[in-house]
Amino acid sequence: MQTHTRTQHTHTHTHTFILLPCLLRPAPVVYLVAMCRAVPVNDLLDRASQRSDKMHSLSTLLTQEMDSHFPPYGRMQMPRPADCHTSALQTPNDKEQALQVSESDLMSLARSLLQAWVDPLAVLSTSAITLPHPSKSSISSKIQELQEHSKSLADGLDILSGKMGPSAQAISFLPYTGGTDLGQDRVTILNKFNFLLSCLRRDSHKIDSFLKVLRCRAAKLQPELC
Amino acid sequence: FLWRLFQVYLDIYLCVTFALPLSHSGQCPRKFDCRSREKETFSCWWEPGSDGGLPTEYRLFYTQERLREVRECPDYVSAGANSCFFDKKHTSIWAEYTMTVVATNALGNASEEFRITDVMEYVKPDPPVNVTVVVNSSAPSPFLEIRWKSPPDVDVRTGWVTLKYELRVKQNDSKEWKTVDIGSETFFNFYNVYPGLLYMAQVRCKLDHGKWSEWSNTIFAEIPKNHQVEKYFWIFVFVFSLIPLLMGIYILLLKRNVVKQCLLPPVPGPKIKGLNAHLLKSGRSEDVVNALMGNQNFPPVAAWTEQVEDFLLVSDSDEWLLTDSFASEKKKDIFIIPAGLHLGLEIQCRDLSVDLNTWEKTDDSKEEAKSNFLNTEPINLPVEKHEFLNGEEMSIQPLANTSYVDIQQHPTLTDYSRVKEVNDNTILILNEEEIPHGLDAEEVKSEVSVPDDYSRVKEVNSDVVFLEKGDSTDGCCKKKEDHYTDWTNQNKGFCLKMIASGYVDSGPAFSVK
Repeated sequence: MQTHTRTQHTHTHTHTFILLPCLLRPAPVVYLVAMCRAVPVNDLLDRASQRSDKMHSLSTLLTQEMDSHFPPYGRMQMPRPADCHTSALQTPNDKEQALQVSESDLMSLARSLLQAWVDPLAVLSTSAITLPHPSKSSISSKIQELQEHSKSLADGLDILSGKMGPSAQAISFLPYTGGTDLGQDRVTILNKFNFLLSCLRRDSHKIDSFLKVLRCRAAKLQPELC
Repeated sequence: FLWRLFQVYLDIYLCVTFALPLSHSGQCPRKFDCRSREKETFSCWWEPGSDGGLPTEYRLFYTQERLREVRECPDYVSAGANSCFFDKKHTSIWAEYTMTVVATNALGNASEEFRITDVMEYVKPDPPVNVTVVVNSSAPSPFLEIRWKSPPDVDVRTGWVTLKYELRVKQNDSKEWKTVDIGSETFFNFYNVYPGLLYMAQVRCKLDHGKWSEWSNTIFAEIPKNHQVEKYFWIFVFVFSLIPLLMGIYILLLKRNVVKQCLLPPVPGPKIKGLNAHLLKSGRSEDVVNALMGNQNFPPVAAWTEQVEDFLLVSDSDEWLLTDSFASEKKKDIFIIPAGLHLGLEIQCRDLSVDLNTWEKTDDSKEEAKSNFLNTEPINLPVEKHEFLNGEEMSIQPLANTSYVDIQQHPTLTDYSRVKEVNDNTILILNEEEIPHGLDAEEVKSEVSVPDDYSRVKEVNSDVVFLEKGDSTDGCCKKKEDHYTDWTNQNKGFCLKMIASGYVDSGPAFSVK
């Protein structure tokens, strides 16, 4: 995980301060100081990116764990990444594109992706318990952990986006249409599970990358955060 | 990993199966691998099949997930032979690539399809560079300061890429590495080192939870032996060991007397029991006498005339058997009532009628008894006081049935003139020249002069002294109360009431008429 040594955020920083969990709308400074401690945006973004990093790490481990017992099925028949339910979302695909996207849009993309995975994670969680796989308990616990991180990250990003403007708060709707049932036979179930996990890995990496770009951009005076 | 291998073999199988009829040369590329060093570009390589000696041309066509068109590899050169290098413009992360490698020779062509799900799966950075180590010899212990730099082509300034490092250190002659997970920092202080040893260190990095890079170059560092530290250490130990030594000496000095006594105990000189040598030295006559005879403190004699005339009643009749109530009386007053004389003292006896006659009758027998008494051994006197009246002996002997106390022998006992001395508490010393009837004055005296010899004292009760005969068994060991009751049993006409706080004064005068 990130082991940055935090230096105190100087007051010359022009970004707004966010008070959590005291208030969600601006208020006089004196009142704010009296009520509670102001948390700078950098700190919040750092925490958010740490959480997204953890999520990406978990999903990577999950795919590796699934691959350890590879499904006896040809890869050609596997669904393609284009079939992920989030593939419709237009996201930057390289560094230049990512650096040109505005902060609000980056935040919106991250939040949309995060929101899109709430239902599929629930499906994965219930299916993992009865997964015909030798490491199903480990897989199941990782998915539960993913759900928790996803929930807390979504809450944090809600608050962050509230400070960044309306475009940051817009969420693209990406419904999951795969249903609650992964299949009937073992091979189908395993394939679908594998496919969902690969989509999850991709999307969690996107979220992580966007938030880290945001964090680096917000901390211009602190290059060590990048 | 096995799944990938399976995919590769499947592809090869497909190629061999389907392509072979098309081309007899067996030109299927067998291996396909890609790599991205910095998440911005990537390259792919294929292994050409056996071309049978014919020159073969390979071309790569790819489609992307979003692009419908088929493109050709932009760069066949930069990544080496049989490779395709995708630069930044042609690299898309999180997009699927479908590569088709077409091998063409004179005999025909064969193609092979490879699928790259995500370039991120092939990200493997270069190892860190500029790894340096400096031995820091500052106190309290030396450590290694290891520093490095990120791989040159990785852009860490924009947040697009997150690098994590791992360090490993080992002794030169050891086989086990100590591995440390380092976040995104580019330095580390390694403390687990010992002077005089040679250490080697390596660093590697990983990009965005991708694959680890290769280990960097090994760097060596030797920790110098620090003699000064050892010297300080011994000085330190020496000083600290002095402290208890000094404390021990100090304590010995403080308690030198005790030590002297312990080590050199005084040799005892000769000592005669009872002889106080110091008094001899002083030279005074009374001191010499005291030294030789022991320090005898005779109790002061008080004038008995001031005292209440209490009479000792001695009786051996059963009439005077006292109840338990008497015996249990806490306050034990001994008083003596002369026969027929009631001095107003309380007598708690059942039978106050003193049968004087009977008593008188037994007077003769008493004489015998007296002689018996006289011939007997020194008296066993369980009673706390024994009194000797003038010319009389009144030894209270409650024990032996045959013995009794002669009460009086002379009618002239109303006068106390014979009393020589009254011990304030206990002893009455008779006037010896007036003791008639062949009383052995000396005997009496000797019996009287009890205080010289307390060896027969059985019991001392506050003011009262019990004398005890050698080894009488008859109730010598009885309780005090028993003694009293027994005593009164055997004495006629007298009551005895012990005065606990007082004493039995030998009322010298009671006359039995």
